[in-house]
Formats: sequence, structure tokens, C-alpha cells
Amino acid sequence: MNATVAPTVAVLGLGNVLMSDDGLGPTVIRELEAAWTPHPEVELLDLGTPGLDLLPFVCDRRALVLVDTVRSDGPPGTLRLYRKEAILAHPPRTRLSPHDPGVKEALLLADLEGRGATSVLLVGVVPGCSRQGVTLTREVTAAVPQALRAVLDELDRLEVPSRPLARPRPVDLWWREPGATR
Amino acid sequence: MARIVIDPITRIEGHLRIDVEVEGGSVRNAWASGQMWRGIETILLGRDPREAWLFTQRFCGVCTTVHAIASVRAVENALSLEVPKNAQYIRNLLVIAHALHDHIVHFYHLSALDWVDVVSALKADPAKASALAESLSDWPGNGRLDLKAVQDKLKGFVDAGQLGIFANGYWGHPAMKLPPEVNLLAVSHYLQALEYQRKANQVVAILGSKTPNIQNLAVGGVANAINLDNQATLNMEKLWKVQSLLKEVVDFVQRVYVPDVCAIGAMYPEWLGYGAGVKNYLAVPDLPIDSPATEFDLPGGTIMNGDFSTYKPIKNFTDPYFKDNVSEGIAHSWYEGDWSRHPFEEDTVPKPGKFDDKGKYSWVKSPRFQGQPMQVGPLSQVLVGYVSGHALTKKWADAALDKVSAIAKVRVTPAMLQSTLGRHAARAVRTAVIGDLALKHWKLLVDNIASGDTDIFNPPSFPKGEVRGFGFHEAPRGALSHWVVVRDGKIANYQAVVPTTWNASPRDAKEVKGPYEASLVGNPVANPELPLEVLRTVHSFDPCLACAVHTLDPEGREIARVKVL
Repeated sequence: MNATVAPTVAVLGLGNVLMSDDGLGPTVIRELEAAWTPHPEVELLDLGTPGLDLLPFVCDRRALVLVDTVRSDGPPGTLRLYRKEAILAHPPRTRLSPHDPGVKEALLLADLEGRGATSVLLVGVVPGCSRQGVTLTREVTAAVPQALRAVLDELDRLEVPSRPLARPRPVDLWWREPGATR
Repeated sequence: MARIVIDPITRIEGHLRIDVEVEGGSVRNAWASGQMWRGIETILLGRDPREAWLFTQRFCGVCTTVHAIASVRAVENALSLEVPKNAQYIRNLLVIAHALHDHIVHFYHLSALDWVDVVSALKADPAKASALAESLSDWPGNGRLDLKAVQDKLKGFVDAGQLGIFANGYWGHPAMKLPPEVNLLAVSHYLQALEYQRKANQVVAILGSKTPNIQNLAVGGVANAINLDNQATLNMEKLWKVQSLLKEVVDFVQRVYVPDVCAIGAMYPEWLGYGAGVKNYLAVPDLPIDSPATEFDLPGGTIMNGDFSTYKPIKNFTDPYFKDNVSEGIAHSWYEGDWSRHPFEEDTVPKPGKFDDKGKYSWVKSPRFQGQPMQVGPLSQVLVGYVSGHALTKKWADAALDKVSAIAKVRVTPAMLQSTLGRHAARAVRTAVIGDLALKHWKLLVDNIASGDTDIFNPPSFPKGEVRGFGFHEAPRGALSHWVVVRDGKIANYQAVVPTTWNASPRDAKEVKGPYEASLVGNPVANPELPLEVLRTVHSFDPCLACAVHTLDPEGREIARVKVL
């Protein structure tokens, strides 16, 4: 049960593990869990693609680190970092389906409620392929260590550093192979 | 004749695209196109059926729970495996909490801005708004000072140029008709609703171990060990917490959401005349109250051609009336061939192409029931409930219709719910019904545990050879069914026929339109550049095609969302 007390810093992995490179966010979370012990004030969450349901996870935090794929210039695998002002510089769009990705909306709504985080970092990677599939492309796989490093650096900067595990566990990418268990 | 294309290209593969042809201020023809390949089922081939639900709940990031529930039910159906009573009730509470959450979010945060002019709320007199609120409901959060505080907060946001969150609203549009006081009330409840949707979400987190992707299901039951005195299991402390959260959320639904929909709806009575579309309705029964699932608290069935006398029940999880009558066709969908088949016999071979409104134009298949397109969702749920004599549905539907009739000063009948506005009203009615059942099912669970029953799981065993199963769930957006073929313990075929597939269906081989398409014909469009009326009708269905891919576009590069050709 992790829904009662909100830790002060959250690392949120976003994206769909069944859509190739879109699984970047969840993958980075699993890599972190396998090799690092987070500071007690830090919560690591693989959230999938929650749309506006992201809101409960971004409220009442001191700081947020989001990991997601991003549309941007540069070849697949390019790492891009965005602070809150940059994420919110362009308003969200008119929605046709109500479940469009809700990152901007959730951040704005949390602010409207007076419960938003002041420090937000988006660790973004340009995807190569976001079609159906359970593995990352070579380019995005190569960017995972950089994205992980960016998350760890941000946690250091926020003074909630992670400790490396003496004996890293296997990375739990349960969605990869048929028959693989969690 | 103008052609309007609404095509939100926010991601690499896009999702829902609507094309309408407008002539003389009204829609003459319409096409709905799913721009994203929904073939994730193929990832399941060869996998262990006990794990299918972990994958299916990742189909969609918002409708996670519903795909998990339908999946375990499908595999249990294939094995004729009953689940213990506790498992039924825990699943039901998850289903209930998810539905409460989903409907609150849909109305306030995802569709209210189609009807509510946020900026107009700044002009409201808080005292008048408070008096109006008291005439609608005895909810305590509507005081003059409460509303003044909301107005000040909103003003602060507007002054700081932070209206971005409402940027998807069409304020100032001529089709916006609410007085400033009603707009202020709606904005106030928009903010309060954020708190209540979080509470509903907390129930899912307590019972499901996690949200948004729950962890507590299993083919054969649930994984919530029950020991009322053990901190690590489902215990009395957690159950009391669940009850108190549910009570708060239900109170908000019944004293705020329902009155709001009635009051706002009554000021747009003309929208009872638009958006009916396909008048065939399908709902499946849900909330089983016994282990073999022979009795249900929510009824299912079909109504054809808007004729209530055609009602036929769907009785239970094995009813052949449902199982034998569902098919999907691909005449206008980007798949190889032009067949129409039963889900067990389908394949998923994509054939990408260009949008061709005479040929293939959507990734969505065309589901049909006895060859007919069907509307699914709260309107179907409420009409089926009303016609079948379901007491709770009648109670809440009659109360809502009376309230709307009194404010609008026209007699609004259940048949008039077949409209754009009616879908919103029906959703509020359904949420209130589920609210009453929330507390009932909490009590069923607690009483059953108190009787000494702590069973949560019957282990599945898979035979050699082939078995087939289907599982359905009446999800917030409507009838969801999963169909599975298991061969030697491995998945040999898997198909999900989701609510938005029923509603966003393209035309079929006989050129009969799907529900979105049919509902748009005849809609008014005052200004083709700002097609608010089209969005009203599409949003009233609560579409969900979007969340399979999540790539964020922080740089805000926009390809025209609304194109007028």
C-alpha cells in the first residue's frame, strides 16, 4: 500500500510497455529499482499512460522527475531535459478524445489547486519506433544509461541521493518474452 | 459544402479523427477514424493465459482495471472456473471505485468545458450563485464565501496568463449559454471534483495494491490475503478506510454531480434533439453477487431501433445470446481482407493505407450484434436498466428527469435521453446507481468475511487441447469483451472488443454508419473554424482510443487540429 503518505520526491516513468520505445519510462524505473536503493523520501513509480489520472501522483510533492519519450529534433535516442517552465510554455491542446496524454494538464491542475511541485524535470528521449512491440530499439536502448544518469543526478541535486546496490538484481522487464513471469 | 477534419496529431500515430461535411450550418455526413493500430492482442500469442491480464491492463493507461477484469473473466470462462465470493466482491469494489472515479473525471475535467464558459464565471455574483446552488442541492460547499474564493483563485490564474489548463475550452463561443452564476458553480465543482476523484482512486490503490496498474488479480480469484487482524493483509482497518472513502465519493456524486448535470443540461434543452445516432443499445450484466455468477446487481440486455418493447436480457457470463451474436467486420478498416467474423475466428493482419472515405479509413474494426451496429455506454446501461425494471436505475433516472423537467419547463421522458445531452444525464444516473451499490458491496464483503469465509482463490488448471472463453465487463464506457482461445495451456488467439470500438466503429460492408458517425449527422455547426458542437457530441460518448502511445510534445509543435477544407 503506497497511497497514504506522499513522499516528497517522485520519479514517474511514463509510457506504454507494449509500444516499443514508448516503454522507455517504465524501463528506466525498472533499471533504477534493480541497481539502486532510493533515498527514503523518494518514490519510484511505473505509471504507464495514465492521461489525466497522473494528477494524484504529482500533487503534494516537493519535486518531480518525469521520464518519457518526447517529440523533438534530433535522431532517435537523443536525450532532452526540460524544466517545468519549458514543459508549460505551450498550452495543452484541444482534446478530441479525453485521454490525451495529461502531463501538462496534470501539472497545471495541481498548480490550480495549490498543490503543484515547484521543481519538475522531464527526462525525455526521442523515440525511434512507437509501434507495437515489447522491446526498445537499439538507439533508445543505448540512451537508457544516459536517462538513468540524468535521473540520478537530479536526485543528487535535490539532496535525496540514491545508493548503488552492492549486488544489483536482474532488471524486471516482465513484459519482454512470452512465458516470462513477473 | 465545407469539410471539417478534426485530427489531433499529438503523437506519432495519432488516434481519433473525425471528418464531417457541413452544409447550411448542419452536418450532412460524418466519418470516424481510429488512427492508431489496436492490434496489441497479437503480443499475447503464445503467452501463459494466467498472465494475460497483466498485459491487457496495459492496452490503455486510463482503462487499466477494466481490461484486467475482462481478461481474468475470459480465461475463467474458458476453464468453467468459479471464483470465491470474496473475490467477486473485491473485484466488484474495484469496478465500482474505478467507475466512480472515471465518471467524475469525464464530466468535470474532460467534457464540462464543452458547456461551461470558464471566463464568464469571473462576472458572476457569488451570493446569487450560492442561492442558486442551495435551490439545487443541500451540499455544504456552495457558500457565498466558498464561491468568492474560487472566483478570486480563477481571477489570479487569468491575470497571471495561466489559463492554459482551460485552453481546450471554447469560451465566448455563441453556443455557450449558461449564466455567469452557473458557470461559477461549475468551476467551483470542477475544483472540488479533483479531490473526490483522488479519493476514488485511493480505494483502487488500497484494494488493487497499486494504481494505475492493479496487482491483486489472478485467474481464479484475487491475491488479497484476508486476515482482519494482520497489518500485511486486507484487514478491518483497510476496509473501514475503503468504506469511509466510498461514502465521501458517493455523497459528492449524488449531491453535486447529479444536480449539476441536471441544472446545466436543463439550460441546453435543444441538445435533447441532437446526437441520437444509432438507436440499438447493448449493455452486459455486471457486479455478480454469488460465486458461480448467476445473479447480478446491474442488468444487461439489448434494445433495438429505439423500441423499448424489443428489450431482451443478457443473463450471465455464459449467455449464448451474447456469445453467439457478436461479430467484427473489416470492410472499411485497414486490415487484410473484407471479412466479418466471430471474435474467436478473427485474425489481426494490418494493411496500412491512406484515409479513403469510400474504402478503408480506420484502424477500428466494425463490431456488430446480429449484424447491427450497437451503441454502448451509460445511455445503454440506463435504458436497459429502466426498461428491465431495475429499481435503482428507475429511482435515479426518474429523479433526474423530474429535476430537468422542472428547470427546463418541458416534460423530459426516458426516450428523450437518446441524444447528446441524454448521454451525459445517463452517465450521471448510472454513477448515482453505482454509488448506492458501492456501500452494498462493501457490506457483502465484510459480512462474508465475518461469517468465517476467507477464501480468495480457486487454482486454474489447463487441459491438453483447445478451450475457448469470453469474458465481459460493463466498463464505464460500455460493454467490454475479451475472447480467448487457449491451446495446450498457451494463448492461441486473443481479441478484445472494446466499448470505443462499438461506438467509434466505421461503416460496415452494408455501408451502415457506426454510432459516432450516425450521431453527428444533423448536428448544428455555427462556426466551422470552431466546431464546438461536433466536440460536444463526440465527447458525450467519452471516447478512449488515445492512450496506447504516450510521446509527449513539450515543444508544442502543432499540426492543424481543425482543418476546414
